[in-house]
Amino acid sequence: MGFPINRRALLQSAACGFGSIALAGLSAARTRAESPADLLSSRAPHFTPRAKRVIFLFMQGGVSQVDSFDYKPLLSARDGKDMPFDDARVLANSGKRGSEQRIMRPLWDFARHGESGRWGSSLFPEMNRHVDDLCFLHSMHTEGVAHGPATLFLHCGATVGIRPSMGAWISYGLGTESENLPGFVTIGPSAGNGGARNYGNAFLPAAYQGTALGKAGAPASEATIRNLSNPVRSPREQARQMEFLRSLNQEQRSTGEDSELDAVISSYELAWRMQMNAPDVLDLSGETEETKALYGIDREPTDNFGRQCLLARRLSERGVRFIQVTYGDSTANPAWDQHSNMPAHEQHARRVDRPIAGLLADLKRRGLLEDTLVWWGSEFGRTPYAQQKGTGRDHNPDGFTVWLAGGGTRSGHAVGATDEFGHKAIENKVHMHDLHATILHLLGLDHERLTYRYSGRDFRLTDVHGRVVEEVLA
Amino acid sequence: MTPASYGREDEDDLSMKSLPKRSLLVVVLLAMGSPVFGDSMTQDGVDFFETKIRPVLVEKCYRCHSAEADDAGKLKGDLLLDDRDGLLLGGASGPAVVPGEVDESLLIDALRYDLLQMPPEGKLPDSVIEDFETWVGQGAPDPRDRGGERARTAEIDLEAGREHWAYQAPQRTPAPRVIDASWPRSEIDRFILARLEAEGIRPVADADRTALIRRLSYDLIGLPPTPEEIERFADDPSPTAYDELVDRLLASPHFGERWGRHWLDVARFGESLTLRGLVFKEAWRYRDYVIDAFNADMPFDQFVREQLAGDLLEAETLEDRRRQLVATTFLVLGNTNLEEQDKEQLCMDLVDEQIETTSKAFLAQTVSCARCHDHKFDPIPTSDYYALAGIFRNARAMDHANVSAWIEVPLPMEPAREEAIRAHDASVAEVEAQIKALRRSLKDSGAGDRILAVDAVPGIVVDDGEADRVGDWKHSTYSGTFIGAGYLHDDNREKGEKTLTFQPELPEAGMYEVWLAYSPGAGRSPAVPVRILSAEGDSEHAVDQRRAPPIQGRYVSLGAFRFEANGQAYVQLSNESTQGHVTADAVVWRPVDGTAPPPDTHSSGRSELARLESRLKDLKREAPRREMVMSVVEDEPIRDLSIHIRGSVHNLGEEVPRGFLRVATQETWEPLPEDESGRRQLADWVASEQNPLTARVVVNRAWHWLTGAGLVASVDNFGTTGEAPSHPELLDTMAVQFMEDGWSIKSLVRRIVMSRAYRLSTFAETGAEVLDPENRLRWRMNRRRLEAEHLRDTMLSVSGMLDRAMYGPSFPETLAADYGFESRSSRRSVYEPVFRNALPEIFEVFDFADPSMVVGRRDSSTVATQALFLMNHPFVIEQARGTATRLLAHEFATLDDRINHAYRLMLGRSPSPNELAIARGFLAESTLDEREAWSLFVHTLFATVDFRYAD
Repeated sequence: MGFPINRRALLQSAACGFGSIALAGLSAARTRAESPADLLSSRAPHFTPRAKRVIFLFMQGGVSQVDSFDYKPLLSARDGKDMPFDDARVLANSGKRGSEQRIMRPLWDFARHGESGRWGSSLFPEMNRHVDDLCFLHSMHTEGVAHGPATLFLHCGATVGIRPSMGAWISYGLGTESENLPGFVTIGPSAGNGGARNYGNAFLPAAYQGTALGKAGAPASEATIRNLSNPVRSPREQARQMEFLRSLNQEQRSTGEDSELDAVISSYELAWRMQMNAPDVLDLSGETEETKALYGIDREPTDNFGRQCLLARRLSERGVRFIQVTYGDSTANPAWDQHSNMPAHEQHARRVDRPIAGLLADLKRRGLLEDTLVWWGSEFGRTPYAQQKGTGRDHNPDGFTVWLAGGGTRSGHAVGATDEFGHKAIENKVHMHDLHATILHLLGLDHERLTYRYSGRDFRLTDVHGRVVEEVLA
Repeated sequence: MTPASYGREDEDDLSMKSLPKRSLLVVVLLAMGSPVFGDSMTQDGVDFFETKIRPVLVEKCYRCHSAEADDAGKLKGDLLLDDRDGLLLGGASGPAVVPGEVDESLLIDALRYDLLQMPPEGKLPDSVIEDFETWVGQGAPDPRDRGGERARTAEIDLEAGREHWAYQAPQRTPAPRVIDASWPRSEIDRFILARLEAEGIRPVADADRTALIRRLSYDLIGLPPTPEEIERFADDPSPTAYDELVDRLLASPHFGERWGRHWLDVARFGESLTLRGLVFKEAWRYRDYVIDAFNADMPFDQFVREQLAGDLLEAETLEDRRRQLVATTFLVLGNTNLEEQDKEQLCMDLVDEQIETTSKAFLAQTVSCARCHDHKFDPIPTSDYYALAGIFRNARAMDHANVSAWIEVPLPMEPAREEAIRAHDASVAEVEAQIKALRRSLKDSGAGDRILAVDAVPGIVVDDGEADRVGDWKHSTYSGTFIGAGYLHDDNREKGEKTLTFQPELPEAGMYEVWLAYSPGAGRSPAVPVRILSAEGDSEHAVDQRRAPPIQGRYVSLGAFRFEANGQAYVQLSNESTQGHVTADAVVWRPVDGTAPPPDTHSSGRSELARLESRLKDLKREAPRREMVMSVVEDEPIRDLSIHIRGSVHNLGEEVPRGFLRVATQETWEPLPEDESGRRQLADWVASEQNPLTARVVVNRAWHWLTGAGLVASVDNFGTTGEAPSHPELLDTMAVQFMEDGWSIKSLVRRIVMSRAYRLSTFAETGAEVLDPENRLRWRMNRRRLEAEHLRDTMLSVSGMLDRAMYGPSFPETLAADYGFESRSSRRSVYEPVFRNALPEIFEVFDFADPSMVVGRRDSSTVATQALFLMNHPFVIEQARGTATRLLAHEFATLDDRINHAYRLMLGRSPSPNELAIARGFLAESTLDEREAWSLFVHTLFATVDFRYAD
């Protein structure tokens, strides 16, 4: 089965590059005639990329920046003191500024780490060993005070309306490098807070939708792609059935050239190859004990997330463009959401810290970190003060920290800053739109040129916003 | 939250070139000599500008606010700061600088990070902001002068805009003459053939009868014809055989199921919300309304009026009134983000969704762009958007809370049932009064005083000892009534310093009633703030602890909430702003399904109380059903809306009177009455014969649904960025006829399917293929993919498992959230729940319409997940086995006969000799038993290309 190369050739030869193809619009009539292999064929970016793929480690619920990487000694000095803050939730509900809040010190001790001397708390001791590979963005801010809107914004660049997810945009922009796997895979996605919208294609062709591997709350050891195997037929029967199907389809389309029917037929071939190859990718048994130990596999509490991270590495090796790994669950108030019990952050940290450190180390020693961008972060951060003067912290979309690693980012570096309490981003602010623009830039895509015409206008991941944060680039 | 998220400020050159004639008129307004600067332009002032102001502007602002940015297509907010005229004229939000008026100047506001926040990457140092304040205070001296050449404002020219074809009233055109007069069967055909003859293209031959009956069956009722029906039609010698088939299918109740589903795509029909998965328990009524409307051939103009304003229309009968109310569910089916915390923003987001849906569904207009700025392409100014928004904003669609709630109103019922409900309500009130009186007397006698062990309390109990404490809480047993070892109080001190947080470990997700046990007394606080975090979000409550707890003298119910199993959940008491003691004894989570027994009781008063409470519960359970429907409620007083500058709810401009789209209106309309929202008038305007869009849009939709491509290919966009009609005279003539036929959908469908154009074969004839590869001129019929519902319904129908029962709810009433819901129904697909987080998998895989968007044209994607579904999904395997069992139950003379029957059953045709040979070979070589061999054969036919297409 040969891959039609006409489209790829067309894309490469077009004088005005990819943008013009996007503008011409992959209309429904055209996409129908194109096989998934055509739509997903690897495409040239707008300019030379630094990264070829992304692994996004999504910490669902909101990791506290002031308890992890954004060190604010003033919080310890003023612990327990009441003072007015512009709380995002109060502001949205009532428009009231300066509501009285009680400052709460970080619950984990901070120290400098690595040659770069970046601050990190004892919440993430393993990640701290890798600070020299990380580029922190301390001045993040975003839209949405509640999980649902903010989670949609993180993934799709909008809290309202129906927009494609970032992974879908990237698949659309770059295609996949794998003949046997989708371009966008999401491991253990949450059903809550937007659910499938967070890895959906919205109005982009369906070939760009995220393929879910397992789901949040289910063991990673059982994660698979839906309908990847037949529940009743033996492999031999299936091979025979496939042969039979080929001959029937051949008869049905015997009336000459027909690209649309060919596309349908080729989708069976791709499905068949996925069925043959994907189980191998998902099978971790061939990994060495040393590697498994690196990720904390086969021991608690790291086994589950360790498996997810190792799957991410295996998919990245096989050319998947965008791999998301979710640490979360399917509840409306997800894992990292300590409104009333801040110490519980520790139990989540214990589950993810070693696997993430293991992934970084593993990517690095395999040379994958050079062109794989790793992105760690939540939909928002948490307040530096206690919620309702209690024992937890509320959501904070106005200032939080994410980090990037590899893929042409500046390592051991930190961009921007929050105010002295770690509440609001003030210096070199990076909006979520800016982060999206920057990640696309690292992949060689211009966020203003990656457009798709739908409903009479051109849409972008960054809407009418976004700037590339140059400081992030190595 | 993203004010500009619907906007689009920059256009690629290519997209502009691809436009037809631009209908915007750019008016250069500014030719000012700026006398206002005269006085302030001293040398000192200029020096101050040059040293303190200009460098900051250049470094921090020009990237987005300069002529250079404009040239690069990166100008933001239409604001130029590299020229003094630009500063004065300002951008979308108004003048940036008012010389001498520091607090009036938006530039200063933005630098201070007040309402606007600029520059976006961070607030500038205070000293810099002070310089700007000084500068504006001095009269904003600014020597930069480009002579006003770039200053501009765009104004939409409505007159020019009305020249676009879609805004002109449709005109009937006599059908043109054709050379081959024997070809046309109808007026439609003469329009089609005349174009083809002009282009030198010959239409292909007619489809054979086997193909035709399969095509027509899927198009009209969404089900395949049976082999017997195929045979009968193929052999029918009557010249009216086709007419009779059309009539039979149009009269079938399945017609409403098929065509109703088309409209449900357009109406973005869904039965849950993405966020939190909250389910619309009453949405099915709207689905049934739509099915009935198509089956009854309700005039489409009436269908429009009822959906937009059914609640406001006169009703002659109870049935009319009910139907009209159900129709308005249309207005509130949007996938709204009810947990948006800024409720004004939420209201405008919902209104925006209503405008988007209404304008696209009925008018094929993209109006939402004008939320933030005048439409870039179409002559729709922002003022028109807010004129429409004003109409919708007066219809309350939500009650606000942390997670706001959509509105359900009672459906009027037969007088007898209304009476039964009234009687029932009276019995409930009586028992409630008895309970109240008994409680009072029990409290007076002190009958309930005693200590209760934690495990004697039914439900999931978190005793005060297990609560997380902040601040100093005192332990006490003084009152003598408590659970466990005592209760806690705040000692009436350090107000605002103390909280108690009760966190449950809930074994199962579900609804729980939350009871707070406290120790009452005269010195207690009358308003103890209690905050509950559940899967529904946060809620705040106030408990008056001076009063005796109403339940058992021990508990107060804080309401029922949905909780996740071991999810984030708590009940938190605080002594913030309280006067008097705050006490807490325990918090109890009681499953609402009634598994928790009522609290233990001893005394006779208590057992009487228990009896009454149980009676009350029974009464409530047996309550005659008050039927509810999702709708809106007109607000009072009626008000106009102000323009929201750049779409921001916090940046209001001038007020605009409520009204309609001016470009689609040839005459002016009467001002809308002050005591009505204008929604009724809007419905009349949309459903009017004078509206140039409505009839054309629906005629075009029908053409698309019957042929796979509209005469206007962009079925949801008749604006200037949409496509032009391939046969404008045909579209117009059909639109006029449609209105003359009383807006009858069935007549319209009949007219199209009776044409020869509809009955052509799908054969791609080479000569025509070269001239018109996309078949825009209709020289053949388009081959079409079966939709998700057809695949499912066909498999169920050939396996004999299809349940043809119509109407009614699609999911159990007890369902709280849609997450992970799997339907096990074998009814037609139109009755499957349209859950936005849990669409039936076959829908999701086979391009079902996204239930959050207006979809007049479904995608037709080809992806590997479809192949995986058809090859491996248990549903397909089950249907294949069912079909095989049926095939084997029939007696057939030969193997070939059985194969032949299978082909006609599933593909609607007989196999070719080659196919027959291949099938024989496959079955002969099989080592499986007969049923499994045939299952695999059927399963493979389900996976073939022909099964997925209608020729």
